[in-house]
Amino acid sequence: MPVWGAVEGVQAKVDGKSANIAGVLGPERGLMLLVVMDVAGDLSLVEPARKALADGLEKAGPEVYAGLMRAQDGLQVVLDPTEDRVKFREAVDAQAVGGRAALLNTVETAVRLGDGIMEKTGVRLAVLYITDSNITNYREDYTNPVVNSSDSRDLSRRFPEGLVKERISRLALSVAARQTPLFIVHLDYRSDRLNEAYQTGLMELAALTGGAAEFCRSVGEIPSAVGKALEAAMSHHSVVVELPAGTAQQVTVTLEAPGGSLRHRTRFLIKDK
Amino acid sequence: MGVVRAAWLALVPVILFAQQQAPQEMQRAVEEFRALTQNMGLRADSPRRRAENGRKLPQWHGRLFENFRNNWLDAVPHEVVQRGGRQGMLRRSQFGFNVTGPVEIPWLYHGGRRTFFSFSYEGMRERVGRGNLRTIPTMAERTGDWSAVVDQAGLLLPIFDPASTSRNPNFDPGRAVSVENLEYNRAAFPGNRIPSSRLDGTAKRALEYYPAPNSDAGPFFRNNYFIFAPEVNRADGVIVRVDHNVGERHRLGFGLNSSNGVDGAAEWFPSIANPGPLSRDRRSRRGGMEHVFTRTPRTINTLTFEASTDQTANQPRLDERGNPFPNYRFVPYLSMGNSYPVSRNARNGFAVTNGFSARWREHRFRVVLQAARDQVHSFWPQYPEGSFRFSAGLTSLPGIVNTGHGFASFLLGSADYAEKSVVISPSYFRRTRGLVALRDQWELRRDLTLNIGFNIDVSTPRVEKHDRQSTVALDEVNPVNGRMGALVAAGNGRFGRAFQPTQVRPEPSMSLAWNVRGNTRTVARVSYSRSYSPIPIYSGQWGTQAFNGTLAWISMNQQLTPAVTLAQGLEAQRQFPDLRPEAANNTIADLVDSSGKQPTYQSASAQLEKELPGALVLTMGLAHSEGVNLLVGNSASNPNAIPLSALEFRDQLNDETFNRSLRPFPHYQRFDVYSSFPEGSYQRDACYARLEKRTSAGLSLTASYEYSKQMDNYSGPYGIQDYYNRDNEWSLTSSNNPHRFSMTYVYELPLGTNKALLQMNDWRRYLVDGWSLSGVTTMSSGEPVALRPQFNNTGGVVDSLRVNVVPGVDPRVSNQGPELWFNPAAFAHPGDFTTGDAGRTHPTLRQPGNQNHDVSVTKRFSVRADRTVEFSAAGFNFLNQANWTEPDMVIGTAAAPNVNAGRIIGSRGGRVIQLGLRVSF
Repeated sequence: MPVWGAVEGVQAKVDGKSANIAGVLGPERGLMLLVVMDVAGDLSLVEPARKALADGLEKAGPEVYAGLMRAQDGLQVVLDPTEDRVKFREAVDAQAVGGRAALLNTVETAVRLGDGIMEKTGVRLAVLYITDSNITNYREDYTNPVVNSSDSRDLSRRFPEGLVKERISRLALSVAARQTPLFIVHLDYRSDRLNEAYQTGLMELAALTGGAAEFCRSVGEIPSAVGKALEAAMSHHSVVVELPAGTAQQVTVTLEAPGGSLRHRTRFLIKDK
Repeated sequence: MGVVRAAWLALVPVILFAQQQAPQEMQRAVEEFRALTQNMGLRADSPRRRAENGRKLPQWHGRLFENFRNNWLDAVPHEVVQRGGRQGMLRRSQFGFNVTGPVEIPWLYHGGRRTFFSFSYEGMRERVGRGNLRTIPTMAERTGDWSAVVDQAGLLLPIFDPASTSRNPNFDPGRAVSVENLEYNRAAFPGNRIPSSRLDGTAKRALEYYPAPNSDAGPFFRNNYFIFAPEVNRADGVIVRVDHNVGERHRLGFGLNSSNGVDGAAEWFPSIANPGPLSRDRRSRRGGMEHVFTRTPRTINTLTFEASTDQTANQPRLDERGNPFPNYRFVPYLSMGNSYPVSRNARNGFAVTNGFSARWREHRFRVVLQAARDQVHSFWPQYPEGSFRFSAGLTSLPGIVNTGHGFASFLLGSADYAEKSVVISPSYFRRTRGLVALRDQWELRRDLTLNIGFNIDVSTPRVEKHDRQSTVALDEVNPVNGRMGALVAAGNGRFGRAFQPTQVRPEPSMSLAWNVRGNTRTVARVSYSRSYSPIPIYSGQWGTQAFNGTLAWISMNQQLTPAVTLAQGLEAQRQFPDLRPEAANNTIADLVDSSGKQPTYQSASAQLEKELPGALVLTMGLAHSEGVNLLVGNSASNPNAIPLSALEFRDQLNDETFNRSLRPFPHYQRFDVYSSFPEGSYQRDACYARLEKRTSAGLSLTASYEYSKQMDNYSGPYGIQDYYNRDNEWSLTSSNNPHRFSMTYVYELPLGTNKALLQMNDWRRYLVDGWSLSGVTTMSSGEPVALRPQFNNTGGVVDSLRVNVVPGVDPRVSNQGPELWFNPAAFAHPGDFTTGDAGRTHPTLRQPGNQNHDVSVTKRFSVRADRTVEFSAAGFNFLNQANWTEPDMVIGTAAAPNVNAGRIIGSRGGRVIQLGLRVSF
């Protein structure tokens, strides 16, 4: 699980009972950062994000390997994880803005990929989405647009966020069974009801995995939001906790360290049970 | 990495190994990344994914749904309860599906990552009872017996015999007309009964189609007809979208929306004389194509073409000869017959738009070019069988208000005004528009972004395909009387195909976003814009009077002589087309404004957004907007109005010849400007606050409050008093609600899987998982009280008369409630031939406020990881809140006060429940 704070002497409890810590990986060890670009909208927002991303990674040490993927039209690898910052910058700069928003369609695959790598290699790993997605820009119909304009007594659209909520809840169950922390930087905060539900959903998804979501209300906030997400992804510890026998399918894990409070994910779904 | 027991045993040695040889381990992870992404189909060279059985995986998603409403779920509306009525029938089913995914045609085409589609269908079937409370004449009145008919004060309403009219030899012209000084003598019908021999035959035959009263809601004999007729509605529509990627840089998109429906209308009368709205057939189609070309990562070009058509056609009710029923109007009773019984309309739009976006240094440029063509095709005869207006004047005591009645005049067959529409052919209106829009988003500093925009919008005026347009040119000499104002047709004389100039509109805009002192948690924004709106092409055939005319019959004195009798009928006076300059004389003439003025708007705003601890975002702002040259209609614009100073002529004004002589264009009764005259102005100032609570323990909430003040010189509900002094009309906008509060919330209940409470691992999780609650609450203060006098005895000089303010009397009441909402004693009926001094809307008195609370409860069942079934129950006005109706705002005379003035006689609203089922896959 991803943990932030001083982890020396950390102790774990699973559903209130003590549990063994099987391993801890900290920022001093390597990190595989899978960056997913989901940019289909405004050039003016994407450019500062590209720059902040490349600049932020240049400051990171060589132990951070960054890979690049694009989400539009299905998750696709653009650049395999590498410590080569020049290659990464070139790949990010070459990423076209366009297509359809796809975070909701690809996030489950992205964290599944992360889990697969972690399970087989044990590296510290995080997924970072850079997105300007707007719920109206999805190819799938989440907006429930009016089909019959002559139907003046239609009340079914009075609660328009229903489809978004339904999709988020399905994804939430899915990502809750994953271990990869998810970070999202949303470049274009919108305050209409549908997009609020969508953005709230993104926040919920990130929080479920132990990650976080940042939202930018102006162009000026983008560098700082990207920087914050990178910092959070790079600074987390990865702690392996041994589950006691007879643990239920849903568990609550708490970590305590003598050095101070830790921020970490607490709820897990055990998928294999 | 995590807590899965099977996994951690494998992880420990890996971690130990990693601690010793991290770079190598990372290389292994990269190899693993490559292998996994290859297997998962995430690389360009990945093989197509197949399911276990070897078939290609379908990746289609979508949903099926049904929304259901029935009257047994709903509360009986308050207005129905108060009238002692019973709940009406409602059967409604709304159903459909949506499916989205890559295009897959077996053995022919595999869309993969290139071609995607989305298809939605929705159908609706509804049968609903519509309630409406109106006033119709009693059965006794229909036979001429007015002995029990009273006015709004409960006093006998006398009906006078127009056949007994004679000039009063004792009339003193130096004194105002009054009961003591009558200009004309006229005898009341004996016993206030019109003899049956005097009843008009056509009127009697028409009354066979008039239903009998069925309610006694009152007061007196008013509100005696409760309409409760079924309405049948139907709609079917589809939306189809296809996206196709051509390589990495081109994307093509196609879309089609199609909908057919019937807007059923409840019949107010179960006969051909139904005056209620007509059922309409509706058809709409929208199609579009889009090409997106990503030239470089920093330059994008988007080309779109869109076409749309919206068509409506009334479903007329015709007699055995194929004719609709004539229209008979006798306020305050429900009229007979309909307007526009056989009309149809089509609006077509075509637009080509090219948008180019590029990034250069700190600038992001966007250039949009657009060309559009609008078409409106209308066949719109308002009264093909004629319309007859019956007013109280002919059965009144001439010059004395609160005498006579329009329905009594109808019984005698004497109309004071009549018109008949003659439409030879449909009109085919056209207009072309062009737009060049430039935008620069300039990052001045890291924390400061400036947006500058400049649009140039060009639109040609309305033309007609066959040049069948006309107007009154106010600077042309009328050959009949040598006065200014004559009918002119497009393409004739000095006029081209249009009467208005081509408009070029420069529209600047600017906005600034600043992260205050570099604080990314605080954004300040300011903005300014100036814009114009083109004069719309409305449905209808206004402005074609030389080709499709309205024949008019006008009384020379509404108190003395009828314009026409029912027995005479409406004989056509002229043939069309009629391009003579005097062809529109003695009619309400269509006037197209050719001044070139166009509605102009300016707005400015300042806003501060601040993120607060606890996942809260607070937004506060100020907004100002104003507009001039706003398009107004006949209630707010009358270029042929008589100045108020003419009221000094008092009863002479009832003489149509004298009255006309005072008008700027005496050969026209008035002008029809059809909501297109640029004379309105408004100003709105508002401050607002909005608080967003992002998700926390499953709850997210947004609340907003606005205080606003909007003033204008044109808004309803009755029109303006003085067309020549608009400053005097400046008052609160009739729809202004100063306080508005709204709140939306979504609460995912903290129950079940991966939630704080009731985590179940057995079958019970199906019961506790997936509950959520959503709600919308709106509250607003009432609109301004708009008072009007019971009578308007101004000889046709004032269209919308105001009341007088009684000095020193407080219009407010101490215990405001439905019994008395305001103090009617603070207002007085203006005297004959005088205007009122109160505002068009009251500056402080407000109608009752409104509140509404909607809530929706949903329960989701996860059938599989990618399938859910969701039940929902939505309650609209779920508290069954009764909102009071507006108070009676009519002020009677001192002799016959309106006993209901200031009182509220009811409330409205009722809980509506909708059940829904949705299966998502």
